[in-house]
Amino acid sequence: MLNIGNEKIPLCHGLSRRSFLSIGATALAGMSLPNLMALEAQGAVDGERARIKNCITIFLVGSPGHVDTWDMKPQAPSEVRGKFNPIQTNVNGIQICEHFPLMARKMDKISLIRSLHHRTGATHENGQRWMMTGHDFNADSVKPHTGSVISRVFGQKSELPANVILPGPIGNTGAGNLHGQTAGHVGSAHEPFFLNADPAAANFRVADLEVPAGMSAARLDARRELLGQLDQLQRRTESNSTQMHDSSYNRAFRLLTSQRAKEAFDLNLETARTRDRYGRNTFGQSCLMARRLIEGGVRYVTVNHFDTVFGQSCWDMHADGGGLNNTYLDYERHLCPQFDWAFPALIDDLEQKGLLQETVVAVLSEFGRTPRLNGRGGRDHYPDAWTNFLCGGNIRGGQVVGSTDRIGARPHDNPILPPQILASIYHGMGINLDTTTMPGPGERPVRLVEAEPIRQLFA
Amino acid sequence: MEQRFEGTPQATINLNGRRLTRSEVTNDWGLRLQWEIKRNGQVVATVNARTGLTYEHPDTAPGNYEVVLQMWRYVNYAKNPQGEFTASRFIDVSNRVTYTI
Repeated sequence: MLNIGNEKIPLCHGLSRRSFLSIGATALAGMSLPNLMALEAQGAVDGERARIKNCITIFLVGSPGHVDTWDMKPQAPSEVRGKFNPIQTNVNGIQICEHFPLMARKMDKISLIRSLHHRTGATHENGQRWMMTGHDFNADSVKPHTGSVISRVFGQKSELPANVILPGPIGNTGAGNLHGQTAGHVGSAHEPFFLNADPAAANFRVADLEVPAGMSAARLDARRELLGQLDQLQRRTESNSTQMHDSSYNRAFRLLTSQRAKEAFDLNLETARTRDRYGRNTFGQSCLMARRLIEGGVRYVTVNHFDTVFGQSCWDMHADGGGLNNTYLDYERHLCPQFDWAFPALIDDLEQKGLLQETVVAVLSEFGRTPRLNGRGGRDHYPDAWTNFLCGGNIRGGQVVGSTDRIGARPHDNPILPPQILASIYHGMGINLDTTTMPGPGERPVRLVEAEPIRQLFA
Repeated sequence: MEQRFEGTPQATINLNGRRLTRSEVTNDWGLRLQWEIKRNGQVVATVNARTGLTYEHPDTAPGNYEVVLQMWRYVNYAKNPQGEFTASRFIDVSNRVTYTI
């Protein structure tokens, strides 16, 4: 079963979208792919202006403590500065955590943004919505994922979807299911394609790119022909939207039968050494796949580093002794090393392939963590200040945008709100935020995001 | 989706005087990689081994030294009341080498 979007959205006739997909899949005898792309993309931007053609977002679910990672406060009291020490990077004056020694060698390519903050709730979902969409919202006004907006504005480059999320959607992070990883009102044609498989698994396969068992190529062609005849009949009698649906069926068939698409998802085409360079784990192999997908023509790839904050090692360092028991040891042995191995490998690889100059890599999270350690030696949610970073494209590396006060409690200068990050990505991709709109609820045109780009980010 | 770690990491280390040289790790899980240094059977240092393929331990105290490359093996994040992992642990991923000062 193909998953496009992870939330139930009621349709006007009362079926949930999930039900609709199930029915559609059954009707098509196992062919669920046509649901992936329901509408034609619409171009609205001068592509020639775009220095950035693609984006990879690495989303650190759970959120690292900024004081423990990229905004260290070595002069602060021990209950603030924590257990880790800073190290010098390859940019004079910029220090980061000792557990990112490989990233430290890439700092000349990275722009740290140390003054992020937002003013809504301190749940993971608030932060996810902000960083995935540039908006906070409720179930009545779901806003589209940035990749869905990019898909809507630019359309597809190849048989591959424009917007892919690896390895799967964000699941339970505590406060509902509005994570900002759906297309919202820009339409189902722009829903993210969720891999929903573990690329680190030895038996990894993308189920949605497999012709159903027992169905030969000849039968597939016959079904396409039959579908084409049905679509011709529909085209004569129904609306424009039906015709767009027809087109999406054709695209889906191309995806299903495209050797190029299959190869983009096939990590076995990489050398063992390359796979080792990213780390033989779910996150590392997702980063490698992100590079392959960008190479294959995907415009926007999101890698979710973890899909939940419960019962497993992740960035959500409450140290509560129960279901949220991540501690400094998880950071030191698992999380920081895993990131520090995969992220520089991705940067190197993109650069060697000639893709870094046209691909921005954005490392984002929901919020920071409390400047002062809690009673158990952990840190709790803290949306008042945190650090994220970008590199690639025409992002000017080796700089720090904004700063926090002496304990990392508040932005000290140049405070940055989440929509500014996304506005910067849109701007870098050549989108004029003043003139580009998209259909909102009720087809009313709305701006992509209500924020200005961070001009300092760009070279 | 719990993180998956495939294969078994392996590397070789060589000793030239006190200078250690390691190979790249095959089936690299991408987690913490460290030199574990023992003197007279006691661990005296664990040093991040990601930053390069060579390392020379600065300790010159007399004794018999034994060095091995280790990687963190994540099983789950369960910890005991003292905060130590109960199932996840470091495992050796290389041969051992010894030298005497």
